[in-house]
Amino acid sequence: MSTILECKHLTKQYHQGDTTVNALQGVDVSFNKGEFVSISGPSGSGKSTLLHIIGSLEQPTDGDVILDGISLRNESRRELADIRLNRIGFVFQAYNLIPVLTAAENVEFILQLQGVDRQARRARSGELLKQVGLEGLENRRPGQLSGGQQQRVAVARALASHPAIVLADEPTANLDSKNSDELLALMSKLNQESNVTIIVATHDPKVIAHTRRHIVLTDGNIETDETRAA
Amino acid sequence: MRVLLILIPFAWRNLWRNQRRTLITLLVVSVGVWSILTFNAVIRAWSDSSLAGSLKNMTAEAQIHAQDYLDDPDMAHSFPEPTGELLQLLNSPSVANWAPRVRTPAIIQSEYETLPVTLVGIDPDREAGVSFIADSVKQGVQLKDAKDEGVILGRHLAKRLNTRIGKRIVLMANDINGRLEERGAKVIGIFSSSPTMEDSFMFTGLRPAQKLLHADGRLSEIAMMSSAQTPLPQLVTMTRQAAPGLDIQSWDELQPMTKGIHDLTEGFIYVWLWVMFVLIAIGVVNTQLMAVFERTQEFGLLQALGFRPNWVILEVLLEALQIIGFGVLVGSLAAYASVYFLQDGISLEGLSAGADFLGIERVLYPRLEAREFFTTVIVVWGLGVLTALWPARRAVKFNVIEAMRST
Ligand SMILES: Nc1ncnc2c1ncn2[C@@H]1O[C@H](COP(=O)(O)OP(=O)(O)OP(=O)(O)O)[C@@H](O)[C@H]1O
Ligand SMILES: [Mg+2]
Repeated sequence: MSTILECKHLTKQYHQGDTTVNALQGVDVSFNKGEFVSISGPSGSGKSTLLHIIGSLEQPTDGDVILDGISLRNESRRELADIRLNRIGFVFQAYNLIPVLTAAENVEFILQLQGVDRQARRARSGELLKQVGLEGLENRRPGQLSGGQQQRVAVARALASHPAIVLADEPTANLDSKNSDELLALMSKLNQESNVTIIVATHDPKVIAHTRRHIVLTDGNIETDETRAA
Repeated sequence: MRVLLILIPFAWRNLWRNQRRTLITLLVVSVGVWSILTFNAVIRAWSDSSLAGSLKNMTAEAQIHAQDYLDDPDMAHSFPEPTGELLQLLNSPSVANWAPRVRTPAIIQSEYETLPVTLVGIDPDREAGVSFIADSVKQGVQLKDAKDEGVILGRHLAKRLNTRIGKRIVLMANDINGRLEERGAKVIGIFSSSPTMEDSFMFTGLRPAQKLLHADGRLSEIAMMSSAQTPLPQLVTMTRQAAPGLDIQSWDELQPMTKGIHDLTEGFIYVWLWVMFVLIAIGVVNTQLMAVFERTQEFGLLQALGFRPNWVILEVLLEALQIIGFGVLVGSLAAYASVYFLQDGISLEGLSAGADFLGIERVLYPRLEAREFFTTVIVVWGLGVLTALWPARRAVKFNVIEAMRST
């Protein structure tokens, strides 16, 4: 199995007035291509911080992230933007979609920025929206979709450009159990079908049950990192 | 380029998300542009008309004199009627009109009163298009021609002299040799103009004036108007070359006051432009800042998805470019329509007495000059987009995470 992502001694400190919060205290972890990993831990344990740093949305205080062989440490803002565009898919807890674009346009937007031609874009978004069960709703705007449907569009968008990894921060937190079950089933199906690496930060035991590898963070440290046998 | 093509329609859609705000910005920009252009056209018409009025008060666009006449304006400083090269130039298409004059200080005496005045001997036909006297005789008759021996007085001067049409007056002036000469003449016409004009000037035929002053074939002054084909400064230079011994000056040298007032009005137009522009800029910055702050999360999301910082700036600028462009278009069309509507003239008939007094014509003809039109449009558009840079830069300053968090 090839390593797709490596975190080297990641530390992150936030300064608030006189107090310093150690959000991450030297996290060393690596992920293989095609893994479906959940990260859990108490609130404030550093799950989101870790995903943000991996996703290059934040800079670590110390340490480095090697994504697909590229060290993120010394890249410019512009290069980081390009890395996010081409190699990382995000699914956030809420507010994932661009309000003025339809479901299909949201999925296609990134492909458009990458310069993929119109036909290929159409085909890809059609295929993905079908896979996430939104056939027929392609031309709805986010405001005309339910929360669960919006999250599914977000998953489709995250996968659209065949990224190296998909980072999902509590993607089911705003969904009822039926919708979270569906979203999870969808994510594990897509993980298996397209062999994309997915890392999910979550409190949801059902999500954890779905993933073979499960990491627990406490106080910015990895407490356990277990992979179940297949 | 590819990104630009993606962002243009994207920006357009974003613009119409908040219709009310977009319409308000549109209104601010278009009313601003409309008022700049329309105001400009009306003020310029006013300014040109009052300049034309001042120039008709005997100054014309340029004058030819003997050297030293302006320091000591009497017949001792006269020059021969034009011949040769100068005459050729005056009769060429470069000159719209020119008028030969004898002009000297004089004393006018009625049965009741003796007053100082400037005596002007004219060829009445040649004054048309050069000075007010051609069309200001309101009572009695105009001088028939340059040989007419009658005199035309200003209404106010006639009143002060207690004389009227048909009465005789006596004129006294120094002749070309400095000897005092006098002659009787009949008042044949009364002219109306501004009080200064009415009090300062009296007119008679050029020939009798020359005769009185023993200055046959000599002039004190030639007043001239340039034609559209030759700009005034060029005409002045040409005249100086054609008549090296004479003193040629343009109106702005002869009347620095008038020049100053004219410049002041022009300056006022610019002040207005800037005031309106600042208002437009405040409007644009305000709404764009609001738009940016309202969409913090969205700009965070765009960057998380891989938008380069420059693309975010570009997107906000494109929104501004489109809304301001649209506003400028509406405003300038409205201004064009307004000026078109006013092209037959704004009648000042209601204040016509005042108009005479101010020396402007009774009807103003506003017009938009193409050059000014396009400068205004481009300046407002360009600067408007420049002001939008500020909100645009705000949009990329947000920390992506914080922006996303603010649910
Ligand atoms: N911008 C910030 N400024 C200051 N402190 C921060 C900031 N972001 C996070 N923290 C702190 O860092 C620590 C880790 O936060 P993080 O959001 O990663 O936790 P989490 O595990 O995702 O929690 P939750 O389960 O509630 O989402 C917390 O103590 C948090 O208060
Ligand atoms: Mg979190």
